[in-house]
Amino acid sequence: MRVRLTFLCVAWFLAAMPARAQSLPDKPIQLAGGQVTVSGEVVGAIAPRDDRSFFDYTDYEHNALRLFRVSFTGSWHPSDRFAVLAEIRSEDLEVPIAYALYVRVRPWKDRAFDVQAGRIPPVFGAFGRRAYAYDNPLIGYPLAYQYLTSLRPDALPATADDLLAVRAHGWRAVFPVGNPASAPGVPVMSVYRWDTGVEGHLQSSAFDIAASVTTGTLSDPRIDDDNGGRQVAARVAWHPIVGLIVGASAARGDWVSDAVKGQLPQALQNRSYPQTALGMDAEYSRGYFVVRGELIASRWTLPALDAPVLAGPVRATGAYLEGQYRLTPRFFAAARVDHLGFSRITGTRFGGAPTPWDAPVSRVEAGGGVYLQRNVIGRVVVQRNWREAGAGSPETFVSGQLSYWF
Amino acid sequence: MRRRWLSIPTLAVLGAVTLLGAAPARRSVAGAIVGSVDVHLPPPPAATRPDVGTLGMPAPHGTPDRRRSVVYLDPAPRAAFDTRDEPHARMDQRNESFVPHVLAIVAGTTVDFPNDDRTYHNVFSLSKTKSFDLGRYAAGRSRSVRFDRPGIVRVFCDIHSHMSAFILVFAHRYFCVTDEAGRYRLDNVPPGTYNLMVWNEAFPTASRRVTVPETGGDVQVEFTLK
Repeated sequence: MRVRLTFLCVAWFLAAMPARAQSLPDKPIQLAGGQVTVSGEVVGAIAPRDDRSFFDYTDYEHNALRLFRVSFTGSWHPSDRFAVLAEIRSEDLEVPIAYALYVRVRPWKDRAFDVQAGRIPPVFGAFGRRAYAYDNPLIGYPLAYQYLTSLRPDALPATADDLLAVRAHGWRAVFPVGNPASAPGVPVMSVYRWDTGVEGHLQSSAFDIAASVTTGTLSDPRIDDDNGGRQVAARVAWHPIVGLIVGASAARGDWVSDAVKGQLPQALQNRSYPQTALGMDAEYSRGYFVVRGELIASRWTLPALDAPVLAGPVRATGAYLEGQYRLTPRFFAAARVDHLGFSRITGTRFGGAPTPWDAPVSRVEAGGGVYLQRNVIGRVVVQRNWREAGAGSPETFVSGQLSYWF
Repeated sequence: MRRRWLSIPTLAVLGAVTLLGAAPARRSVAGAIVGSVDVHLPPPPAATRPDVGTLGMPAPHGTPDRRRSVVYLDPAPRAAFDTRDEPHARMDQRNESFVPHVLAIVAGTTVDFPNDDRTYHNVFSLSKTKSFDLGRYAAGRSRSVRFDRPGIVRVFCDIHSHMSAFILVFAHRYFCVTDEAGRYRLDNVPPGTYNLMVWNEAFPTASRRVTVPETGGDVQVEFTLK
């Protein structure tokens, strides 16, 4: 079924190609007199061995270093002030999902102010809006956007010990309150799916300002509402000179589902348990190099249930610095240094010493790529991961990727 | 070594004898090949890749004129290859498009790529004829590339995927780019029979056999591409 749907998408794309085209297209396909534009991307990444330590898994099933992805992006813009955009993607030949599906409206013709509603791109941070392979210099994701912490919106630890017990087990966390089944935790900010809601964006020559109200949170974007809460997020980006972008972001929204809240003591059920995050990002490019960095600090408020209690919210801080350098017209080199740290909590485990609630992770990823054609890019990376606890540390992976877009 | 020095005056004398012995040739007059290329191609709207990651309407950008064609002789008269100057040409980056979209130059030409926009551009080409990458540079700056080999060079911007252009590099001077109405004119073509070729990015190359008479004058050749 999955395979069939994916191949139906590919067949549709091939049928839409102009009849005279003798090779794969290198520019988007236009239909309906230019009102409809369709582009696509096919990305295949292979790694000689699996990541049994779950450093690169984006959930329990998908490894970013071993991923086959087909996506089609379409826009319908009947006028200069209205457009409908969608991205349909399938990972590892699974059922295609609507990664993005929203309307974009420009209410005033002479003002660069736009409203987008639907399954929308995140306004927080910088990496979440980048195209997967086209604008990612490497193959892996930054840890803050990918690494699975042990927190779950549908299951909660009752004590500090419950949380300490699943350190470095974000790929199959189990907690006593809420859903008893083991399931993957959430990253600090998810880029595997986008949130649903409304956002506004104002652009001037030096600033980009965006704000959104959405159903889920950074770590748990949603289509359906599971707690009646809303996330408010905003980002201000400053372009002081050409080539330099400096951004600041903030977000806050309820992240614990009502299903779990229903199992809490009555006095704790009506409280708010938000995820609150602040972010800073910067990009500078000139000549043949691009350097980007990002810092995300997030905290999740959890109910204090039993002793040893979780005193206050738990925090995570992710930071990365990446760079890309074009060596020749065809070859480029890239590297990323990345770290994800966690605040300390105190339980009876680890001798009662304050301990990070999840195991801090560090990563260095470096590699290079070649433009086989303008729109066919090959990459090879080596990635080394360190984790304070859990299986497989340090762990080194090698991955190769071939991507094609039109 | 000695034989080579001796052979040069010998050849010169032989040439002089030949010329003197020939009948007085009728003086030939260079002609012109003129006409138009009618391209049946609907003017395409700006073909930007849809980017679901942007937070607002993309800025409007220029639309390349895909109806421009290049008309040239193949092979060209021998005299066409006698060039010693080093010409310059220009391809602007303006309103997120390359202007002109099609540029025809003679080999040895240096092309300037000034950035007239307020954003970065990164001009590059992976073509076998000429591979280059100018890096990112801002408004008011320009970088140059010299094209020494004949062939077709596809030019792109690494930042704006909708930006593309063509540079056709010729070993001779008998070429021209059609104007907005599709008209062309090749002047000073010596009498003779040639293949007149038409290149357009959207169609296979078309050709006609054309003869410029000894008396010169204009030879009209019309093309229709569809």
